[in-house]
Amino acid sequence: MSDLRIAHKPALAGVKAGKFGIIGPKGPAVRMKAMPEHWLLHVLGAAGATDTERQLATLDIGAVRFAGPGQWLVVNDTAQPEEALARLQAALGNSAAFSDQTHGRVRIALEGPRAADVLSKGSAIDLDLGVFAVGRSGMTLMGHISVNLARTGPEAFELIVLRGFAESLWNDLIHMSLEYGLECIAAPETAAI
Amino acid sequence: MTSHRLTRGGRIDREKPISFEFDGQRLSGYSGDTLASALLANGRQLMGRSFKYHRPRGVLTAGSSEPNALMTIGSGGRTEANTRATMVELSEGLIARSQNRWPSLDFDIGALNSLLSPFLGAGFYYKTFMWPAAFWERVYEPIIRKAAGLGRASYEADPDYREKRWAHCDLLVIGAGPAGLAAALTAGRAGARVILLDEGFELGGSLLVETTPLSAASVEEITRRTLDELSALPNVRLLPRTTAFGWYDDNVFGAVERVQSHTPQPDPNRPIERLWRIAARETILATGAEERPLVFGGNDIPGVMMAGAMRSYLNRQAVAPGQRTVIFTTNASGYRTAADLEAAGLEVAAIVDPRSESHDQWTGKARVIRQGVVRDAHGGKRLKSVTVETQGRLEEIAADALGMSGGWNPIIHLACHRGAKPVWSDERSAFLAPEFSSGLTLAGSARALDSLEACLGDGAERALQALSRIGITNATASFAAAADGAPRAFSFWRADNNKTKAFVDYQNDVHTKDLGLAVQEGYGHVELAKRYTTNGMATDQGKLSNVNAIGILAQLRGVSPAEVQSTTFRPFYSPVSFGALTGLAKGKDFQPVRKSPLHDWAKKNGAVFVETGLWYRSAWFPRTGEAGWRQSVDREVLNTRKNAGICDVSTLGKIEIFGNDAAVFLNRVYCNAFLKLAVGRARYGVMLREDGMVYDDGTTSRLAEDHYFMTTTTALAAGVMTHLEFCAQTIWPELDVRLASSTDQWAQMAIAGPKSRTILQRIVDEDLSDEAFPFMAARPVSLFGGRIKGRLFRISFSGELAYELAVPSGFGESVADAVMKIGEPHGLSPYGSEALGVLRIEKGHVTHAEINGTVTPDDLGLGKMVSSAKPDFIGKAMLNREGLKSPDRIRLVGVKPLDPAKSFRTGSHILANGAAATLENDQGYVTSSAFSPHAGHTIGLALVKNGPERIGEKVIVRNDLFGEITEAILCQPVFVDPENRKLHV
Repeated sequence: MSDLRIAHKPALAGVKAGKFGIIGPKGPAVRMKAMPEHWLLHVLGAAGATDTERQLATLDIGAVRFAGPGQWLVVNDTAQPEEALARLQAALGNSAAFSDQTHGRVRIALEGPRAADVLSKGSAIDLDLGVFAVGRSGMTLMGHISVNLARTGPEAFELIVLRGFAESLWNDLIHMSLEYGLECIAAPETAAI
Repeated sequence: MTSHRLTRGGRIDREKPISFEFDGQRLSGYSGDTLASALLANGRQLMGRSFKYHRPRGVLTAGSSEPNALMTIGSGGRTEANTRATMVELSEGLIARSQNRWPSLDFDIGALNSLLSPFLGAGFYYKTFMWPAAFWERVYEPIIRKAAGLGRASYEADPDYREKRWAHCDLLVIGAGPAGLAAALTAGRAGARVILLDEGFELGGSLLVETTPLSAASVEEITRRTLDELSALPNVRLLPRTTAFGWYDDNVFGAVERVQSHTPQPDPNRPIERLWRIAARETILATGAEERPLVFGGNDIPGVMMAGAMRSYLNRQAVAPGQRTVIFTTNASGYRTAADLEAAGLEVAAIVDPRSESHDQWTGKARVIRQGVVRDAHGGKRLKSVTVETQGRLEEIAADALGMSGGWNPIIHLACHRGAKPVWSDERSAFLAPEFSSGLTLAGSARALDSLEACLGDGAERALQALSRIGITNATASFAAAADGAPRAFSFWRADNNKTKAFVDYQNDVHTKDLGLAVQEGYGHVELAKRYTTNGMATDQGKLSNVNAIGILAQLRGVSPAEVQSTTFRPFYSPVSFGALTGLAKGKDFQPVRKSPLHDWAKKNGAVFVETGLWYRSAWFPRTGEAGWRQSVDREVLNTRKNAGICDVSTLGKIEIFGNDAAVFLNRVYCNAFLKLAVGRARYGVMLREDGMVYDDGTTSRLAEDHYFMTTTTALAAGVMTHLEFCAQTIWPELDVRLASSTDQWAQMAIAGPKSRTILQRIVDEDLSDEAFPFMAARPVSLFGGRIKGRLFRISFSGELAYELAVPSGFGESVADAVMKIGEPHGLSPYGSEALGVLRIEKGHVTHAEINGTVTPDDLGLGKMVSSAKPDFIGKAMLNREGLKSPDRIRLVGVKPLDPAKSFRTGSHILANGAAATLENDQGYVTSSAFSPHAGHTIGLALVKNGPERIGEKVIVRNDLFGEITEAILCQPVFVDPENRKLHV
């Protein structure tokens, strides 16, 4: 049994990567990267629990993304120890339920001076910095694909997508970025555990 | 042909000549030309043939309302038919062809229609082609369609792409003429987020055309300064070549930007067109006004043109309309054109003005004929002269060009897209837009203002009002208010006693007599007259003709245009290509691709994939030497029943259900009992709709006291999730239930067959003996010596000893590889959705082929599952309806051919043996069928009247689509292990 290689294969390993489109003298105006698939938790707040978001933020387990009324996605670039979930559950009690979606959702980072323009081709969210400020997130459609879109910096965004749609979304984002010039980095190949 | 290009003037760049082709002839123009202006400059007045009578037509306008100069642009996949030459920016190598003519534009056989015109009046084909009825579709319509026409689309694939995008702003300004520029500048200076769009390739609108001096500086200077300042403001987005086509709910506007359609060699990395969806807090409609044609005999002869268009060609592209021009005008526009023509050294033969007096000062050389009317124009493919009638006296004046102006129609189309009706103003002699309390404001000549300065001031003022409505109060007007000198407008609907056809709708060839006929025959209502005559129904949507038609109808009916009213305005304002509406969603990008976490595993094992909704499912795994899919599927089925098989079932919907009331919730959602399901156990559940019909089925497992895991069918995964959310949020908000989709979190594989336990025990750390992990057990498990955690379910769709193993998706491929490796010595092989289908039909399990929205649990043989003890569940009340209890409903039964060598198809109908094949005798149909390698013949599941009571009866399976008639026997719908022994080993 120990001779069997068990490995983790990221959803965006082996997808299109490199430079695409019209690269201007200042380099690609959009950069895209497949984020590590180490920790993503779907938090479901109980009806009437009003303090869940604040509690999640204080627990220091990752960035908290609003994903609908009473729902959040907690993301972290590094894997959390197994007891982290138990610690969370203990801290929030019945006010929140947790569904591990580390493998179910894939994160894509999109940044650069034209990142907002690319995203506006797919989403109806007003991405003006004064309206959709750093730290805000929401559920939206990117073209035909449902995503959670978050602003992580003035010119930086993160998309969370169902794993099965990740490659399709990746290809759509490449297409939508061509006129600005794009550099993208796929996920690393499989890692044995 | 002589050149009509003046030696100096205009906004064209004479350093940049452009060569292009029209009907095979090489011509040249300059940068800054439109196709229409370049053709005019080349002396090419004749640009098209009319729709019905094939009359020679020249260009009438200089903008998007052009009804005559419709051309086919480009070649191959880039062919675009019915393009208005007035909107096409000239580009190097442009290829344009005229339309609706044969063999050539100059000599068109179809022009014979003109001779038949007495018989071709409005509604002629409704009257003429009544008999015989069958001829309409096969003979008359094809002939009419061939004769009357527009350009032809290409069958080649379009090499370019189009895309869509969203934009948001405080103030959207539509139209970049004086009012629009002033509005944008006022808002831009105040820091508001502004989008200014205009359909022209240069921003400026009438400022690019008019030569009237302004008080502060020259028109040119004001325009340049304003555009420079706007371009430098980071909060202002300028969109030239962009047409706003519709106003929709929530103040969203649709607009199409011609990103590259004007470039000779489109960059493949940029879209050719872009469809904008602009959500605006406030909007200024500064769309300007459309000059109204005058209706007189021969008003369509090439050389007759709108006075404003004439001025535009003269001042923008330095093109002379002809050598000797007559102006026919009811307002200042004609005088302005006459002045500009004379300033350019061109001869104006006369200014014909039907008014007895006017405020228009004329100091030029041309003779003014007051109370004069152009009754008829004369000429064929080129204007030769006009007949002017002055108080009964007729005078013929030689002219090769005629500029006409019947007043101005404010362009209010967009303002009326959401139900508001235009309002007739006697004072302005025009239809005006209604006022809106918020969201949209009109400005400038769209509000029937006339002078440039009044429009500039109005644009600024209206922007201030709009901005204050959204809380922006720091703005100051960019231009001062100015009084508008426009006198009371004058309505002149048509010249009387004309000898030749006086056209109202150029594009659809509707003339005054057609409207008269409509009124005479009882179709005088504006909506009826439109449809009877087709006035306003062409691709230009009556931009030039609607108001004149209303005026003429009013005159004929003896009422005011206010009483006639206008027809309904709807999007689109001007034609939008299907490609722009499609965006990127075409070809392989038509819909997203959803891939299973086991996709790559299946691929490397040679799977053939089938599209199932958005998913790509592995359908079968062919091996070398196999003749076709059937052979592969038979092998996969037999091997699964003999040894073991592994199948990707990740696409099934998976829902995590949490909460203290999850058990109660499930008990109400499913028709069978769920309250007492023990932790660590799975149960098959059937979900009904409120109407008592089966909605979906699947297994649900209890993983903890307050945590369940539901599986749904692949097809209804999203539907069931929505249904559950609706139930939780709306029907039973008092229940503590929380739902999370985990379809993508788990790679799930079915491992089925007698050797499945042996294989799985090698990777699952827990004991899998029947005692420790019995049928319907469902538990989290440790795998590979604790390296990863998964979930194991002992459930079976195939009827064999079987498990479904779920592992986190990222591990899916390597776990499936490991199962394959361990299973190899045991004969394990992968099977696809086709074999899955055969295995389940053999076992008599239903899918959505049977759960087709018309069946109750009892119809499927699942009646005993329906709980009678539960106080309520969704569908319970309606399930007791008389019709749903009726004994002669069609119900599930098996069916097999009498002769094992014969076969039948899914969808075939069941008839009693010997019954005639009539609808009345139809007794049901085959819902699923397959060749069963286990049984050695075709088997089927069918919904048949009284099916379960008729087992053993000989029936006829009949398929008239394929002409197949098969003798068959109704049987138990289980062909494998009816005692379920295999499940419990």
